[in-house]
Amino acid sequence: MWMVETQGLSKYYTFGSGNQVVALNDVNLTVESGEFVSIMGPSGSGKSTLLNIVGCLDKPTSGDVYIDDAKIDYGNAGSLVQLHRQTMGFVFQGFNLISTMNAMENVWYPMYFNKVPKPERKKRAEELLESVGLRDRALHLPSELSGGEQQRVAIARSLANHPRLILADEPTGNIDSRTGKMIIDLMKKLNKEQGITFIVTTHDKAMANNADRVITITDGEIVD
Amino acid sequence: MIEAFLLAMRQLQTKKVRTLLILLGISVGVAAVVGVTSLGEGIRVNAVEEIEKSHDLTLIEVSPGVSNGNIILITESKVRAVREYGSVVAPYVKDAYVTPNKTYFEVNGISAEYMDAKNLQLEAGMWLEEGTYQIVLGSDIGEKFSKIEGVEIGNAIDARIRLYGEEGRAIDKDITFMIAGRLKPTGTDTDDQAFIDMNIARELTGKDVYDGIMVKLDKSGQAPAVRTAIEKLGLTCYSAQDEIDSVNKIMNAVTLVLAFFSSISLIVGGLMIINTMIVSVYERTHEIGITKAIGASESDIIRLFLSECIIIGVLGGILGDLLGVIFSILIDTVGRPMLIAQLGIADFEHLTVINIQILAAGFLISLVISVIAGIYPAWRGAKLDPVKALRQL
Ligand SMILES: Nc1ncnc2c1ncn2[C@@H]1O[C@H](COP(=O)(O)OP(=O)(O)OP(=O)(O)O)[C@@H](O)[C@H]1O
Ligand SMILES: [Mg+2]
Repeated sequence: MWMVETQGLSKYYTFGSGNQVVALNDVNLTVESGEFVSIMGPSGSGKSTLLNIVGCLDKPTSGDVYIDDAKIDYGNAGSLVQLHRQTMGFVFQGFNLISTMNAMENVWYPMYFNKVPKPERKKRAEELLESVGLRDRALHLPSELSGGEQQRVAIARSLANHPRLILADEPTGNIDSRTGKMIIDLMKKLNKEQGITFIVTTHDKAMANNADRVITITDGEIVD
Repeated sequence: MIEAFLLAMRQLQTKKVRTLLILLGISVGVAAVVGVTSLGEGIRVNAVEEIEKSHDLTLIEVSPGVSNGNIILITESKVRAVREYGSVVAPYVKDAYVTPNKTYFEVNGISAEYMDAKNLQLEAGMWLEEGTYQIVLGSDIGEKFSKIEGVEIGNAIDARIRLYGEEGRAIDKDITFMIAGRLKPTGTDTDDQAFIDMNIARELTGKDVYDGIMVKLDKSGQAPAVRTAIEKLGLTCYSAQDEIDSVNKIMNAVTLVLAFFSSISLIVGGLMIINTMIVSVYERTHEIGITKAIGASESDIIRLFLSECIIIGVLGGILGDLLGVIFSILIDTVGRPMLIAQLGIADFEHLTVINIQILAAGFLISLVISVIAGIYPAWRGAKLDPVKALRQL
């Protein structure tokens, strides 16, 4: 069973002048459940676009995406929301957290939308912060945390609803390599211990070295 | 839902000054409406109280009715029918007489019941004796007679009544009345009327119908039912309630117009909310992108923003009501002495009246405007493209 499968996935941006930007061109990709896949490629090659389409934040121009072998219906907003709530978690490059909420609240926020009862939410948020080593920073606002700490809170948040797939777009992009290593180790650990599937875009060689598989993408096409 | 409000509260706390300004904007608008409405209500209440003070609400005055162009006369059988309804039912006739000095005066031919129904009180002299040509004068007409005609209680007064015969020929009839007594002043029509025995009056004019009936009730609460019953007989009714009704109608209309104009300031408050919320959606674009990615639906986003608006509406309503009460007290303390001095009218208790309906209306207006103002910004937030939103910092 594939966790993620794309078939002939393309994304074009057409401008008024008739110019076309090809962000993705006929991408066929399969990711196994439990795999740690890293996507590399030069800037502008379409990494984020691919991740956003798989993550149901963006729509493809053509082609299909299957998650758990079920075709995503991009026109059905309700089903996309359910995927966000139950199947996948996101980590972005930086400024991942809601600035007016403390670490704890940021972690329980996805559970709030997923309608998890309040006491359970609090308990899980505490556990998750514990697991990323930030239990004692629970009441701190994002502005009071370092970049690496913020990313760890973001990872804790992405785990809130027990997702089986985590999509991370350059999670180590804005932090130094030593802190980056910590983030990579954390994700690896979650992948190994909990079997969570990771698709991570990166420019970071260290990240690629830790992946089960590295996919290289150039000008919107996979080049192996 | 409570949590949505707590989250919204948090958002509002992070932009205190802005929130405070919106609250001020909306609550000043609410205060203007509450103040103006309380003034209208105050004037209405005073006017109604004034009417109630000088009129008897348990009295219904019945006069002949008109139906399809036909006059419905008050016949004996109608009087009998009306007797069913009132505790005192006093039919009377009414004619115009003139003195040799050309003083016209209205003479009511009445029975003892009439005196009861209208609660006529003698100031001097005696009540008229049935079957005699005695006359009792209202206070104003009594004064006039003593000045112009030089007649007092105990004197005779000549009067002439003009009647119309079969062929429309005028026949003048001269009568001499004996002034028996004078009534206390009442401030009503009674002061300009004179009263004689009904049978004498009918004999003089040859009338076989009545010109009116006074119907006195035990309680003013019976009035509406009795009125409809009498009106079913085809007769016309009048009571002080008519005046109260028309005062209510006019004042409600005036208050509505005033409230409408003062509510223009609420539009400004509403625009402030729209503006602030649009700015807030813009500032939080990136955050909305994240929120959508972690599982918020469009309606979740709308709820987040509308919760803020509801809080603004509730606080604005409370603050607006408070300011409105202060505003209304101000109108009262400043305006009342001024009105009394300027118009020279009698002292009255309050110029403005605040009641629960006015406060509830003020509160609701604030809530409704806040929510309506929030719909468009909230919708814009909900419709944000998450990818674009995430790109924007
Ligand atoms: N809204 C848009 N309108 C037009 N072109 C776009 C839009 N979004 C992305 N693109 C283009 O699509 C291509 C792929 O963009 P994408 O963000 O996926 O690249 P990336 O590989 O993530 O780059 P980076 O490493 O810098 O993050 C780029 O050429 C970009 O300019
Ligand atoms: Mg990118």
